[in-house]
Amino acid sequence: MGRFGLIFKSIAKGRVTEKYPFAPIELPEGFRGKPEIDPEKCIGCGACATVCPPSAIQIHVDEEQGYKTIDLFLGRCIFCARCEEVCPAEAIRLTKEFELAAASEEDLHQVVKLKMAKCAGCGRPFDTVRHLQFIAEKLPEEQKPMLALCPDCRAKLASKILTVAARRHR
Amino acid sequence: MMFKKSLWVFHLNSGSCNGCDIEVLNIFTPKQDVERLGIKLVGSPRHADAIAFTGPITRECLPKAIEAFMAVPEPKIVLAIGSCACGGGIWFDSYAVIGGIKEFYKILKEKHGIEPPTTIYIPGCPPKPEAIIYGVALARKAVEQKQKSEIFVEESDIDDAATLFKEATSTRHFIPKIEVIKRGE
Amino acid sequence: MVDKILAEYGAVVLDRNAKRLVVQVDDKQLRPLAEKLFESGFYYANGVGVDERGLGHDFAMYHVFASEKDKLYLVVKVSTSNLKLPSITPVIPGSNWAEREAMDMLGLEFEGHPEPERLILPDDWPKGVYPLRKEFDYNERPEFVERKPESTPQRTDVVQLPLGPYHPALHEPEYFEIHVDGEVITDAKYRGFHIHRGMEKLAEGRLTLNQVPFLAERICGICGFTHSIAYCQAVADAAGLDWPERAKYIGVILLEIERLHSHLLWVGVVFHLLGFDSGFMHMWRIREKVMDIAEALTGNRKTYGLVLIGGMRRDIDESRKNWVLKTLTELREETERVSKDIFGMKELINRIKGIGVLPKEDARALGVLGPVARASGIDTDVRRDHPYLAYDKLDFKVPVYPEGDVLARLLVRYDEIIESFRLLEQALSEMPQGDVMIEDYTIPSGRVGLGATEAPRGEDVHFVITGVESKVYRWHPRAPTYNNLPSVPIMLRGNNIADAPIIIASIDPCFSCTDHVAIVRKGKVIWKGPLGEGVKQVGR
Ligand code: SF4
Ligand code: SF4
Repeated sequence: MGRFGLIFKSIAKGRVTEKYPFAPIELPEGFRGKPEIDPEKCIGCGACATVCPPSAIQIHVDEEQGYKTIDLFLGRCIFCARCEEVCPAEAIRLTKEFELAAASEEDLHQVVKLKMAKCAGCGRPFDTVRHLQFIAEKLPEEQKPMLALCPDCRAKLASKILTVAARRHR
Repeated sequence: MMFKKSLWVFHLNSGSCNGCDIEVLNIFTPKQDVERLGIKLVGSPRHADAIAFTGPITRECLPKAIEAFMAVPEPKIVLAIGSCACGGGIWFDSYAVIGGIKEFYKILKEKHGIEPPTTIYIPGCPPKPEAIIYGVALARKAVEQKQKSEIFVEESDIDDAATLFKEATSTRHFIPKIEVIKRGE
Repeated sequence: MVDKILAEYGAVVLDRNAKRLVVQVDDKQLRPLAEKLFESGFYYANGVGVDERGLGHDFAMYHVFASEKDKLYLVVKVSTSNLKLPSITPVIPGSNWAEREAMDMLGLEFEGHPEPERLILPDDWPKGVYPLRKEFDYNERPEFVERKPESTPQRTDVVQLPLGPYHPALHEPEYFEIHVDGEVITDAKYRGFHIHRGMEKLAEGRLTLNQVPFLAERICGICGFTHSIAYCQAVADAAGLDWPERAKYIGVILLEIERLHSHLLWVGVVFHLLGFDSGFMHMWRIREKVMDIAEALTGNRKTYGLVLIGGMRRDIDESRKNWVLKTLTELREETERVSKDIFGMKELINRIKGIGVLPKEDARALGVLGPVARASGIDTDVRRDHPYLAYDKLDFKVPVYPEGDVLARLLVRYDEIIESFRLLEQALSEMPQGDVMIEDYTIPSGRVGLGATEAPRGEDVHFVITGVESKVYRWHPRAPTYNNLPSVPIMLRGNNIADAPIIIASIDPCFSCTDHVAIVRKGKVIWKGPLGEGVKQVGR
């Protein structure tokens, strides 16, 4: 058969070329495309930024304005879906979108700015309001007030109480 | 429209892992076959209309990348293919790479005073062959750009934790702990 | 037997399990021990320099030897307090690059090394800055220093023509210096090796244990998944983890899919280099279906990204399994039919028969691996000799051809494609039920682990020392092309220059793998003598 076999094969096969870009293509279930943050659901906990292998998600804290910024840069994302796995609020999701080409780098950013809450002790913004509310839902009622303090103030308060307690005991 | 007809591309591997290179090659095989759209890989930057970078541009290949870039005649298009080329990828801050096309332009500007040309960023790791085709189509303005930057700012009146969780500073809530200490001693 | 040799040279056993043995020897005993090991059938698998000051020791060099006969990986550790160590390159040529790498990256000195020159770092890297020392930050960017001119000796009797680094014909540049007499190649040298992405340092610096698999996968865009498996196996070895059975089967399935696509790609490229483009198109058309399977199972065509230290991130559900099985049967028929036609073409077979011969003895001395070794009559396969994942429960043949020419390399790979189909069918239908990931485990720090897999191109060996706070202390991958490249000059000798590209491609070189540590692809080919045909496409 040899080469004639190949020629027959090619003819019998017909057209194998897809029509793209003139017709859309089909994508399988579970395709890992563009990650998208749902800004309504995001609580700004930063779990995604911690696991993201290329640090495509970065967190900036603006203490003056009292905002926490979650910056997702698609141009660095490796589409690994780790962020989707760890997000406690199920806010980040990998869509099937793959047509991501853009003419400028700015177009590749998705930014979510969340309001931060000021510490009742020192007045420094320390965590997003949404994250605090998210934790509060999981905490027993009597521990909730502790959330009003930043970790530093909480530690200070705790040690103060301990000293008081120790003195009282003596 | 700058390039009405066939787009000839010079592909430059600037330290990529090969994933993107194979996908670039892939679009010339039967399933995608972009030669039907007049796109062709050429062997010399001097014959090219567009130069495609794959990889984060390592220190070692920086001088060669600059040379190849300058050899492409004006007007030219740059295709940054893959997350490595767009933003440095997983290597973006390593000591051995310069970290993507933007840094490359910075160096070009500083050293040679060259302004960045039209650049198409094609993220993906590696981008699907169709994503590359889409990018090239975008370069030729044959399709609309779908990807746009999004900024969401939360509007909220609450900004201090005390209003959320009142009586925060009162030591009352910690008293059970003191009992524990007493018993322990 | 190994124990007797080790006792003879006063080696102290640090750690052992069924598959690997870690010993420490005195630096004076290293060279004789290495020689003895080499004589008794061990080959050099990996060499890693480690800055152990963070663990409360000095600098150390870990040499990894492997033997198919003993089914064992042997890690030999030597420490030094003054940065000086004896070189074993004079007795085992395979350690040449590993030692030079340690010189570059850590500033170790190897006494008696035949060519102590810079290997990995770029020429403009300042002297005395060693990126793998712990005091160096992964994101430090030292100043560029004056580049010293290339020290290629200028010869007057031949024409020197630089080709590359970005030559039209080179998809992956490389640097072969070829000496010809008329049309016949008399000698060849390989140089190059310059893709430095700072991978090992990144793994130690920015990333955590569970992020490194994604980095490992990007060592190579063709056979990356086996690197990430090798890494996870190494960490699992260090921590004594055992994956759930189902995860092991899924691992095998994905690895074999990767082998399929890689071999089909290679066969296509070989046809392309021979000017037989319709064969190339047919192979890549078939390959496209393999990519579709990968995409359906993992969500990405090439970077599967499915493995973490504890196992697999995605399961394969029943309906998808059946679909894959069906597609595979079709694909297998298609491959067999097309290949029958292709192998029926006499002129094609004659074109690649008897060229680029690598004799068995040379292959063994250089520690050549994978399909290249099997085409030279060496019966080696990590999947069978050091079984990992579920390979010990599956049935497959290891094709071996004694001829050692390009045709044999093509046939080995073709047979492996067919074996991969068989393996896939078995693994998919025999896959047990259960979990695919273990969730709670602890990774002890300061432990040595070794992971080896059979990549499409040969054996991958990953070496890991675990660190604190879920970080790796040291990670060093070794890819097969690293061992295979030095065999190219032997293959080239005595052949026509027009055959050079196909011979070079016949080992399926993967430069991003080789240059794993970092390296920037800077290939340069200096072609001496008539250019013409010879400089067709080299590499992919
Ligand atoms: S998909 Fe992976 S790389 Fe992309 S943002 Fe999520 S974690 Fe980061
Ligand atoms: S973007 Fe991904 S696939 Fe492409 S070169 Fe970089 S790591 Fe490789």
